[in-house]
Amino acid sequence: MWQDFKQKYLVGFWNPLPAVIALGILSTYYFGLSGSLWAVTGEFTRWGGHILQLLGVDIDKFSYYQIQNMSGTPLSRNDGIMVIGMFLGCLIASLWANNFKIRFPKNKIRIAQGFIGGIISGFGARLAMGCNLANFFTGIPYFSVHTWVFTIFMIIGVYIGTKFISLPCFLPKLKIEKVTSQKPLVATKGRAKFLFLLGCVIFLISIFWMVWLTYSSPIPQNKTFPILGMALGFGISFGFIIARAQICFTSAFRDLFMTGRSQMAKAVFIGMMVSSIGVFSYLMLGNAPKLSWMGPNIVLGGLLFGFGIVLAGGCECGWMYRAIEGQVHYWIVGIGNVIGTMILALSWDYYGETLATSWPKINLLEIFGNYGGLIVNYILLFLAFFLILWTQKRFFNKKISQNIKGI
Amino acid sequence: MIPDYRLDLQGEPCPYPAIITLQELPKLYDGEILEVLSDCPQSINNIPIDAKNHGYKVLKVEQQGTTIRYLIQK
Repeated sequence: MWQDFKQKYLVGFWNPLPAVIALGILSTYYFGLSGSLWAVTGEFTRWGGHILQLLGVDIDKFSYYQIQNMSGTPLSRNDGIMVIGMFLGCLIASLWANNFKIRFPKNKIRIAQGFIGGIISGFGARLAMGCNLANFFTGIPYFSVHTWVFTIFMIIGVYIGTKFISLPCFLPKLKIEKVTSQKPLVATKGRAKFLFLLGCVIFLISIFWMVWLTYSSPIPQNKTFPILGMALGFGISFGFIIARAQICFTSAFRDLFMTGRSQMAKAVFIGMMVSSIGVFSYLMLGNAPKLSWMGPNIVLGGLLFGFGIVLAGGCECGWMYRAIEGQVHYWIVGIGNVIGTMILALSWDYYGETLATSWPKINLLEIFGNYGGLIVNYILLFLAFFLILWTQKRFFNKKISQNIKGI
Repeated sequence: MIPDYRLDLQGEPCPYPAIITLQELPKLYDGEILEVLSDCPQSINNIPIDAKNHGYKVLKVEQQGTTIRYLIQK
């Protein structure tokens, strides 16, 4: 029984669709309980700021770090604790599944791709005030118009990115080789057992930390209960789920354009349909909405972000579990990301007002009224879903006509 | 199950394993089997589905530690 359970739920990968729906529901509860979004780049920006502080830079001179609210440390902010929880969740998942191994990129060009793509996507995400999470998956259900505009331009960026990374210089020079037997794979039973136990130890420590935080952390001013322990729990769950189901938001549109696969894109929109009504209910109960400026920064940031994540091979959420699994490529992407946020923050004062802060924040629930805005959001979500189906159909029709021409 | 060809894509991050697999599969004769090896865990969400979508038959998916073996028939 235990072996079956372990094999099915802790070792074998999960189906992405139920996982994405679970993420949609959990992120909505997280918003209801803590008032924060499930987001990661904002916190990575603060980590970049702390690194600059350590290097002796006076970051108070830069207004972007004021917008980001640098007060506290990663261990005292709920965003910080949540992100640390995500790393722990990813680690537990990869250890339990014997999916931890230091993997170096085979192809040197991937290092450049990961680093430059990471910088571009980190810069783009912060220019637009959010990544695939706060501006897309946990953005669209929150009724701010900028998230829809971001999504459209991100998809255009992804499309350009897919054309770019399919250039011959990026493709591996591998051909099929004739064989007469399967390649023997090294059995790793002892290693699997050790990693599983290590995963259990980290899991238990995480649980103790969560309980301790719940009892020891102060109650925030506008809350009636402590939230740090809960933020850690949510973070662990988010991390565990994205690693177990290998959730990759980057692949949603990239692979729709590259190989005609629509599973992830459809899953993401179904997840957002599930969470949008939940977010609406919390907004009606009085949670403050999450709005951002609708300026040219969204258009530019979306394009850069879309292109950057495809070049790098993963977004801010996607590199986390892959880096933890030991994929060196994604360590480089992560470093690139943080550098990208630093470049943005240090240069923001030259263009921030023109491109972003002087523009209005537009809320669908204010333009169309509460129910009107809810309906408009759902119409757009369904429309996007049908566009995905149409794109997939078009991809395969085109492929068939190309094959006929080829004959 | 004895494969006719092999593609060892270990060390390549996604989406490249799926792209190369789809690029090489048409070179097989009908009925021949290709063995694909990947250590990109994400390939579990793309190689089998892409192969099926593009008209190939996925015979077996096997996970051994960080390596995943796919046996695909044209």
